[in-house]
Amino acid sequence: MIDWTANYGFFLNEQHDMLRKTVRDFAEKEVAPYIREWDRAGAHETGVAEHMLPIIKRMGELGFLGVCIPQRYGGAGFDYLALAVVCEELERVDTALRVVLSVHTGLNSLAVFQWGTEEQKQKFLKPQATGEKIAAYCLTEPNAGTDVAGMQSTAVREGDHYVLNGEKTWISLSDLADHFLVVAYTDKSKRQRGMTAFLVERTMDGVSTSPIHGKLGVRAGNTGSVVFNNVRVPVANRLGEEGEGFKIAMTALDNGRYTVASGATGLIQASLEASLRYAKERETFGKPIADHQLVKRMISHMVLNLETARMLCYRAGWLKNQGIRNTRETTLAKWHATVESFNAANDAIQIHGAYGFSDEYPVERYLRNSRGAIIYEGTRELQELLQADFALEDRVSKPLRCELPAYDEDFWNAE
Amino acid sequence: MHAVVCVKQVPEQNSVKINSDTTIDASGITPIINLFDEYAIEEALQWAEKNDGKVTVISLGPDDATDSLKKALAMGANEAILINDDSLGQVGAQGAAKVVAAAIQKLGDVNIVFCGKQSTDDETGQFGPALARFLGWPQLTYVFKVHELTDSQIVVDRALEDTLETVEASLPVVITAVKDLNEPRYPSLLKIRKVSKQPIPTWTLSDLGLSADSLGGTINIAKRTPPPPRPSGEILSGDVQTQVKELVQKLIESQIL
Repeated sequence: MIDWTANYGFFLNEQHDMLRKTVRDFAEKEVAPYIREWDRAGAHETGVAEHMLPIIKRMGELGFLGVCIPQRYGGAGFDYLALAVVCEELERVDTALRVVLSVHTGLNSLAVFQWGTEEQKQKFLKPQATGEKIAAYCLTEPNAGTDVAGMQSTAVREGDHYVLNGEKTWISLSDLADHFLVVAYTDKSKRQRGMTAFLVERTMDGVSTSPIHGKLGVRAGNTGSVVFNNVRVPVANRLGEEGEGFKIAMTALDNGRYTVASGATGLIQASLEASLRYAKERETFGKPIADHQLVKRMISHMVLNLETARMLCYRAGWLKNQGIRNTRETTLAKWHATVESFNAANDAIQIHGAYGFSDEYPVERYLRNSRGAIIYEGTRELQELLQADFALEDRVSKPLRCELPAYDEDFWNAE
Repeated sequence: MHAVVCVKQVPEQNSVKINSDTTIDASGITPIINLFDEYAIEEALQWAEKNDGKVTVISLGPDDATDSLKKALAMGANEAILINDDSLGQVGAQGAAKVVAAAIQKLGDVNIVFCGKQSTDDETGQFGPALARFLGWPQLTYVFKVHELTDSQIVVDRALEDTLETVEASLPVVITAVKDLNEPRYPSLLKIRKVSKQPIPTWTLSDLGLSADSLGGTINIAKRTPPPPRPSGEILSGDVQTQVKELVQKLIESQIL
């Protein structure tokens, strides 16, 4: 079997290769043998699959959850490209694993790293990097997805606290998380500039969560709603300044979308690998179906989209390493990789014929898992509009009060 | 306590393809640590951690065998040594054991050597016993549990074909590990970051005071034959009772029942 991850030496080094082998080994040994049962269970049961918490804790022990966080904050001290490598390898086995990295590491931990005070980094980032605490990201509401300004959650200052009220939904790890990054209006009249971000703890009175049932995909994972009912959040838990919530949410998405794009790349690879195996085994008309031209076409498109998605992701990761804003490059990677992961899984089913229509083979799970990422963390349509706006120079990324720090090996290594 | 683990880099079995002329297609081979050696590494690490000891991994192989040594370092080994020499290309298990024995003697302060019971490429199972012979140390082969290990003594369970036995030996000693010995750990992410910068010394035969002539016979593969194709299955016809009757008859005929 060809090593599809070879020859990326212009972005990756020996450390990334060893990291990849370790994550792959973990996912193949500790998840792959059970994932079909976990996925089936997620379709029928409460939506909080029992397997998920031990697996997240295991990923924490192994250092995956803090892979690109500096060692002084409990992380493994790798660069941002390593985050892509981990996401690729996790989603190559199942999307539910990568989703953990997306919300816990990409959306929450990196936002705390970028915008948090030193005290907040010690209190929240450190236990999250080690996996001792699990983190989620709460932006979407029942009536506000892409239209973030349509949110209704509010936080009203009362002395040294804010009183938080509202409901967030489609929150990954809602029922497992200890920490929630929540965006709410502190001044609705200012629209986006009236939003503020908070680090809310599950132990605070008034926080409740419930799972969502009947998902099309990512059934092995946990997704649900989080309700905040007069939750008193200390001012010390405010992330950034009042009014910076929208910027924080969007820069968090620059990191979340990067993990989604990288994961989708892994899913394309999984579809390609499954298709190659099956196309060589299965014979029709006296020859392996791999010898039929229209099967070859589907395989060649998977290869093209795998390699282009991977390169777009690594470019975004390289820009993060340099400390260069990368909203355009990250959204392009996310758009391309997610849409093509769905197409790759769809073609993988076609190559498997009727067997692909059953969960005897993993490709139908790949298709179901791929579909959500064309909606969450920025719909396909939003990514399209963003790309046009960047091309037309209608949109520019303005400097921020807190940028994501460029990767500095000495700083990341220091304890 | 200073433990040495002998690590062989072998092809991952699924990655080995045979060409039509029965030569091996080297292009798609994925090199990995020999399966049984991973158990040896893990056991050495566990006992070194308990005894505040040190683990050195040694591999005899080409330059890219450093990949396996680096993995062992990322699992927690303290030091690694590669033995590579142009004249070692076709060396057999006994010759390899003689070379590694010289390396262990050169290290000087080694109390115990852990090896896998065999390698998954050659499958000879000769290396560990031969190493013990060249070192002049006792050998405890097929070890599936280590009960006790101190600076002077070891107590292990051995899994033999029809017997399980508990054995004591004094150190220094050579151990060969079977699959059930432990659960090998994953490399640590923090150590992965360190080992890529850790130098791995390469020792040649002359560093060990050996010459190619002193290693005994080399191995040449005279012929390689693929395993015979599996016979195709047989589908029984008729109603279930007839099929079961016929199936039982066939199992009896084949002496399975």
